[in-house]
Amino acid sequence: MKQSATIVLLALLFGACSSTKPPTQKLTQTEASIRQAEQVGAEEYAPLEIREARKKLEQSKDLVEDEKYEEAKRTADQAMVNAELAQIKSLSAKAQKAVYELKQSIQALQDEIQKNINSNQ
Amino acid sequence: MRTTKFLQLLLSGTLIISVLTACGGPPQNNPLLTEAEQAYNKAENDSLVVLKAPVALKEAEENLEKSQEIWQNKGDKELVEHYAYLAKQKTAIATETAKMNAAQDQVERAEAERKEVLLVARKAEAEAAERKAQQAIQELESVKAEAKDAQKRAEEMAGRINELEANQTERGLVLTLSDVLFDFNSADLKAGSRRVVDELTSFLNEYPNRRIQIEGHTDSIGSEEYNKQLSLRRANAVKEALVSNGISTSKINTVALGEEYPVASNINEAGRQQNRRVEIIVSDENGEISQRK
Repeated sequence: MKQSATIVLLALLFGACSSTKPPTQKLTQTEASIRQAEQVGAEEYAPLEIREARKKLEQSKDLVEDEKYEEAKRTADQAMVNAELAQIKSLSAKAQKAVYELKQSIQALQDEIQKNINSNQ
Repeated sequence: MRTTKFLQLLLSGTLIISVLTACGGPPQNNPLLTEAEQAYNKAENDSLVVLKAPVALKEAEENLEKSQEIWQNKGDKELVEHYAYLAKQKTAIATETAKMNAAQDQVERAEAERKEVLLVARKAEAEAAERKAQQAIQELESVKAEAKDAQKRAEEMAGRINELEANQTERGLVLTLSDVLFDFNSADLKAGSRRVVDELTSFLNEYPNRRIQIEGHTDSIGSEEYNKQLSLRRANAVKEALVSNGISTSKINTVALGEEYPVASNINEAGRQQNRRVEIIVSDENGEISQRK
C-alpha cells in the first residue's frame, strides 16, 4: 500500500517535470500560424522570420521523431513566435504602405484642386 | 608561537577567499539574455509601444522574467536562452504591433483628411459653377443689350432713310436726286442739294460699313455720247461734294448711265425732267451694292 502510493507520487512528479507526449497540438497551432503569415504576404514582407519559423518547425518535428518531446515543444514555441512576428511584420508593412499611398493620393488630389482653382480664375 | 598563529590566520584567509571564488564570483553574462534585456528595455521606454502594444509587451516581460529567474537560480542554460529568445521575439512583435496600430490610426486620419479635401474640392467646384452661371447671365444680358442697341440703330437708320427721302427698292436703299437740284445742262449742284449731301455724309459716317454707288442719268435730248459725259459729270459732282465733306473716295462708286435707263417717257418735258436725275444706291451691311441687271 505504502509502496504503490510512492509510485503514484513519483509518476506525478515525472509527469510534471518532463513531457512524455509529443507536442502535437502545439505543432498544429504553429503550422496554422505559419499559413496565416504566408496569407498576409510574409514571404514578401518578413522573409527572414517566416523562414526561421519553418526551419524551427522542421527541427521540432525531427525532435519529436527522436522522442525529445521537451525540446520539441520549446522549438515549436520558438517557431510559433517567429510565425507571429512574420505575420505582424507583414501587416505592419502593409498598413504603412497604405498610409503612404493615402498621403500620396491626398497630395495628388490637392494638386488637382489647386490646378482647377487656378484654371477657373 | 606568534608565527604559528600568523600562519593559521593566513591559511584560513586563503581558504575563505578560495571558497568565495569557487562559489559565487561575479556571474558571467549570458549574451542572449543581455540582448533580450536590452531589446525589452528599449521597447519599454518607447511610449508608442507601451501605449499601442501593451499585451505583447507584457508577454515579452513574462518570458524575460522567466529567463532571468532561471539564470539567477543557475538553472539550465538552454532554458535561460529559450526564454530569452522568446522574450526577444515577443519584444519585436510588440514593436511591430505598435507600428501597425499607429499606421492604422494614421490611415483613419488620412481618410478623414481625404474626405475633408474632397469636400473642399466640391465646394470650390460649386463656387466655380456659380461663377460660370453668373458669367453666362451677364453674357446673356450683354447680348440682349446689344440686340436692343442693334434694334435702336436699325430704327435710327430707318429714321435717317426717311430724312433722306430714300426708297427701299429691290436693289436696297435708293436715293434719287432729281433734275431740279442741277441747273440745266450743268453739273453744278444747286444750293438746295447741299442739305441732301450733308444728310448723306452724316449717314455714311454713322454706318461705316455702308458704301454707295452714284449713278448719273439724263434724258434723251442730245447725243448719246454727250449725255454719258453729262451723267458722269453730275455723278462726280455729288461724289466731290461728299469727298469734300470728308467721305473716303473708296466708299464711293460713280457710274455714268446716260439716257439708257429712263424712268419716264422722253416724249414730254415732265417725263424728261424725271429722267434727268442722279440715283444713289446704298450698299448692304457688308458693303455689297446690288447692280443693275
